[in-house]
Amino acid sequence: MKTYNKIALSALGVIVFLLAWEAVARSGVVPARLLPSPSAVPTAFLTEFNSGTWQAMVLASLSHYLVGLSLGTFLGVSFGTAAALWGKWDAFQAWVVRMLRPIPAIAWIPFAIIWFGVSEGAASFLIALTVFWINYYASYAAVRGVDKDLIELGYAFGQGGLIPRLFKIILPGALPGILSGLRAGLGQGWMTVVAAELFGISGLGMRMMEASGLLATHIVVLYMVTIALLYGVSDFLFMQVQSRVLSWQR
Amino acid sequence: MAAVTLSKTASASVIDLEDVSIGYGKDAPPVLVDVNLSVERGSFVAIVGPSGVGKSTLLRVVAGLHTARSGGVTIHQDQRPGHRPVGLVFQDSRLLPWRRVIRNVEFGLEGLPVSRDERRHRAEAALKLVRLDGYARRWPYELSGGQRQRIGIARAMAVDPDILLMDEPFGALDAITRHNLQDELRRIHQETGKTVLFVTHDLEEAVHLADRIIVLGGTPARVVRDVRNSAGRDGAVFRDQVEQLRSEIADNYSI
Repeated sequence: MKTYNKIALSALGVIVFLLAWEAVARSGVVPARLLPSPSAVPTAFLTEFNSGTWQAMVLASLSHYLVGLSLGTFLGVSFGTAAALWGKWDAFQAWVVRMLRPIPAIAWIPFAIIWFGVSEGAASFLIALTVFWINYYASYAAVRGVDKDLIELGYAFGQGGLIPRLFKIILPGALPGILSGLRAGLGQGWMTVVAAELFGISGLGMRMMEASGLLATHIVVLYMVTIALLYGVSDFLFMQVQSRVLSWQR
Repeated sequence: MAAVTLSKTASASVIDLEDVSIGYGKDAPPVLVDVNLSVERGSFVAIVGPSGVGKSTLLRVVAGLHTARSGGVTIHQDQRPGHRPVGLVFQDSRLLPWRRVIRNVEFGLEGLPVSRDERRHRAEAALKLVRLDGYARRWPYELSGGQRQRIGIARAMAVDPDILLMDEPFGALDAITRHNLQDELRRIHQETGKTVLFVTHDLEEAVHLADRIIVLGGTPARVVRDVRNSAGRDGAVFRDQVEQLRSEIADNYSI
């Protein structure tokens, strides 16, 4: 299919979705309080934007997101790579990882508040935690999957030492897998932003909580759309960078 | 356990193997025993034998990728700076897919006391040697199997090795490409005078290329024949040499 047709079809899908939603909301089948119509969202946006709330919330969430994402990604890739490289370290941490892994980020909220207070740090911590595990496992698998023959090639040509082996063979070879971990973390990070802010840390999540308390469902929808757009933009930018970095792939 | 010894003393041979015995694992019986072999500087030596006989392992021992169980492996390294003792060419080309052709050829030069300019210069010369100088900026996935093998040869030649080790380098190619590359390799050997140790299971290939053929056979394997060869692709002589080797291998290969 041509790129042009693809874009046209995607746009058509979005329009049909919005029209169907608007139709259900206007038909009166569902009470307006329970399902706000999408046409109410632009007005909500203007109100929120003119008061400056929207910008403040987006900036606050963006800063939690970026701090948490970079910290979680860096640590996740580092620990995942280290565990995949050194068998002894892998064995040492294997059961600690198994015990910590199944605990979801929201279960850490009490500790986040005890340790960081109701603060920016607490939100970033929760986001970092979510992103960490995704990158840990993606990097672990990617590094394990690097072609052993290429590592042998390194030894044959005097690049068998840890530094050249790591930076000339293992990390470039694992890069496609590491990047798909990064991408998954990018999306999961936005989901955690909302959860992390629900308990009162300033940001999109908090504003959604406030609005739902007042049954201002059109404002809730506005912030849902905002998160969707922010995610869409970050994923799009990431894909642009990725296709450049991986231009050596067929 | 015997690792490779690098010797700086002048010698007529490039590598000397003394009573080398090779095996996998600690208690498994050896695969290859009593290998005594000196490869003269500038010669083209082929190692032939049935698959599983340990030809490739022997090459890996010389390359330092596998340690011999016992015996001595000496490489007489030249005094010139900025080169590696061995250059290895694999059957599966093994180019790094994330490096352009020129950077693949430079790979072995990294870590040598060679300036960036000289590195690039030597890689370009190596590409020219394999007649792919127009391909420097290509990605490996854009190349055919034969071209990838040429790049593999260029990468090994770029480090200006004392000995070029080739592990069935044309084994995975189609017949026409294989013949072309055999001719290219002969030309490269003649132009550069590089010592070559070449592993193959293809007798015609060995007789066509090498001036000395080592035949491995038996269980555990050992050197069963060591023949001087001057056949090239010279009609009747070539046929005779191949047939003679074939029958000798059949005699020594008892299962």
